[in-house]
Amino acid sequence: MSPDVLTVDAVWKRYGDHDALRDVRFSLRSGEAVGYLGPNGAGKTTTLKLLAGLSRPTRGAVRVQGVDPCRDRARALRRVGALVETPGVPPYLTGADLLEYVAGVKGVPAAERRVAARRGAEAMNVAEHLGRPFGSLSTGLARRMLLGAALVGDPEVLLLDEPTLGLDPAARHDLRDVLRTLSRGGLTLLLSTHLIEDVQEVCGRVLFLRNGVLVGDEPVNLDPDSRTGGPRRAVRLRFGSDVPAESVTRAVGPEFGVTYDGPRQATVRFSGGDAEQAALLAGVIRAGLPLVSASTPEPDLARRYLERVGREDAP
Amino acid sequence: MSGEVAALVHNARWEVTRLRRSRRIWLLLIPIVAGPLGSGIADLYLRVPSSGTAEVLGLLITAGLAALVVLDLTALAVGEDLALRTHYLTFALPQPRVSALAGRLGIVVGGTLAVYGVGALGVAWLANVLVSTSSTAPAPILVPAHLALGVLGLLIFLGGVTAAAGIVARSAAQALVAGILAGVVAAGIGSMFLIEGRLTALFPEALAAVGLVGFAWCLVQYGRIEV
Repeated sequence: MSPDVLTVDAVWKRYGDHDALRDVRFSLRSGEAVGYLGPNGAGKTTTLKLLAGLSRPTRGAVRVQGVDPCRDRARALRRVGALVETPGVPPYLTGADLLEYVAGVKGVPAAERRVAARRGAEAMNVAEHLGRPFGSLSTGLARRMLLGAALVGDPEVLLLDEPTLGLDPAARHDLRDVLRTLSRGGLTLLLSTHLIEDVQEVCGRVLFLRNGVLVGDEPVNLDPDSRTGGPRRAVRLRFGSDVPAESVTRAVGPEFGVTYDGPRQATVRFSGGDAEQAALLAGVIRAGLPLVSASTPEPDLARRYLERVGREDAP
Repeated sequence: MSGEVAALVHNARWEVTRLRRSRRIWLLLIPIVAGPLGSGIADLYLRVPSSGTAEVLGLLITAGLAALVVLDLTALAVGEDLALRTHYLTFALPQPRVSALAGRLGIVVGGTLAVYGVGALGVAWLANVLVSTSSTAPAPILVPAHLALGVLGLLIFLGGVTAAAGIVARSAAQALVAGILAGVVAAGIGSMFLIEGRLTALFPEALAAVGLVGFAWCLVQYGRIEV
């Protein structure tokens, strides 16, 4: 069994008379990619600050690779990449200056720092901007450069706070690709975000936080069949009259997972794309079932988010 | 290399990079060039009665310039990152914060003291070359060697106060203002002691001690900053 790489143990964090975190407990095993979802002010960033050694818990303990990051910063954070909130960088410094500095502090030998910096920037597709001062970069490019800095030195653990904030759709897509690839390579990821799609596409497990309290810790995809296959598509079928139980299953075949939501409604989940969906609908029509509409159901994770966290500030 | 020493070295280099990129590094030339130059012009065009008085005049010019440099560079070394929130990034790196800031301060404060020293040597050389002491010349108001060493105390004081103010204000601009005010107060008290004939080595020593306490407090508090 993999050891816990990140541990948050009965942590409370108090600011003045406000408890930002209340008895939060969770841990991440090596290689896990975990999404951290919650509305504004739920305490997500506070948790990441504690794990990145930027702040100390009022009560409880945090451990990164078994070490308290506030006590022994060098040991705890040696193989950690972190981007918490949006740090500013003096406008006269170039991306290369920053990334090479980060490489040096992370123990990359002097001769390899330039290469390490370039690799970090390439992962975020900003290598050609390494020589430009931060003051001349757009918000999105600067953000990508900072994400590149978090990736310098081949971290084993990545702590990211709203990483897709300020990124254009293409950069967001690239980042998710990078995170998926790193995760498959064994990286441990804690991804604090507002965006359910970030978690859906990258993570295997999700934590829900509301008002400083952890209210959910569960797999991203609850459909047991989906654990082995690729991305799953779902279609909600509505019928004009009641259909007999199992009739949809018989019509579409065993490769489609059918859930009956009532006598006139069923949700079918399957691996594949448009061709499979067309075959599914053709099967239903051929079987003579009184189909009146087929639609994409609300994503399961979004529904669970609303159940756990509530409507306030829903993404 | 231990973690502390490595952090010190990395951050000293980082500060040099920052000085270079921001072109603030040119400020370090001011006490070396402008100090002796201004002093030499004064030596040539004022009726300076002795080389000792010329040295005192030149040292005061050089000290004033070095004071401005140490104020500016220290304020930025401590306050710039805190104001821009660059510390959200640097605090999450595997390095002791105290060593990291000490490395940066070492460059700006050590650098300023070093260039002041070079400027002071230039002043002394020029004073002896350009000014001849007449037999009736009065003694200078301060012993030049004592003044030269006393100024080091003043520079350490200014650096320490500015560094501490940078932590409190989390802003380079406000730290700079605090340092200037401290300098005005120190100059006023020094002048008063001089006029009253009570100026001794104790004054610059006390200034240096306050400055060192300021640096120590700054480093300890920097290690405790919560974001």
